[in-house]
Amino acid sequence: MNTLNIEVSKDQILGIVQEVFAAMLDMGETLIFEATKPTDLVDSLHAWVDMKLNLAEGPLTARAILCTSEETAQTITRTLLMTDEDEDVSFADLADAFGEIANMVGGNVKSLVRAPSELSMPVVSKEKDMSHEWLFLQDLHLVWRSQPLSVSLWVQPTTN
Amino acid sequence: MKAIVIDDSRTMRRIIGSALSQLGYDIFEAEHGVAALQLLEEHPDTALCTIDWNMPVMDGLTFVQEVRAARKWRATTLMMVTTESEHGQIVRALAAGAHEYLIKPFTPEAIMQKLDLLGILPQTTVEKLA
Repeated sequence: MNTLNIEVSKDQILGIVQEVFAAMLDMGETLIFEATKPTDLVDSLHAWVDMKLNLAEGPLTARAILCTSEETAQTITRTLLMTDEDEDVSFADLADAFGEIANMVGGNVKSLVRAPSELSMPVVSKEKDMSHEWLFLQDLHLVWRSQPLSVSLWVQPTTN
Repeated sequence: MKAIVIDDSRTMRRIIGSALSQLGYDIFEAEHGVAALQLLEEHPDTALCTIDWNMPVMDGLTFVQEVRAARKWRATTLMMVTTESEHGQIVRALAAGAHEYLIKPFTPEAIMQKLDLLGILPQTTVEKLA
């Protein structure tokens, strides 16, 4: 079994998330910051991508999960799709837009690990699928436009 | 000038399409490489394809290889727009025949700068910038 020898710092995650949100959602302005404390989310939505990393020690799968309230995910979706604030958002649009943000965060986290790797398609769900053995690696609690959001990284040891 | 935006995400197609439309391109959308090849058959005068990497049915790298294998599409500029930022992946895409590589996230200005470097900005935008 591989040891967990990949390291990603909170500052690196923060930098990636700030770059993604500034470029895609906030017209270049930084409006997402580290929260002083975690917030319990009601009606939460999760978006994640998996990264299959071919490390020198063997293969490893990492998962990057974004979590926020469904209401905030709807705001993200409306902002990305450039629709009106009162326009209804379908779950398909929500999954597509929030999933794409997870895809960009995960893709840029993947680039921090200097090893050949593959990125999965994003998955968006009200439930986290952690049915396999995932080990906690890092997390970061954030505030975007006064709304809580979190990013967490997990790894799954792979038996050779 | 015609551009095909190839991405399985409708959100990304809208964002990239909007940025290109503002630069003066006529936009067509495809959700994977096979749909994009069909659009290229219908619009062989397409000036630009923006291409995501990870897509169902046919991925972006395979699309680039298919386009570059056909002489009739030699004039079409291919630009990868993807989260795949690993150096080896960038080299593979460029070696397969992509002209440029833009990593997500990006700004509309970044798209314009890449197209300016490639010399394929629509004339109306070139005149505005002059």
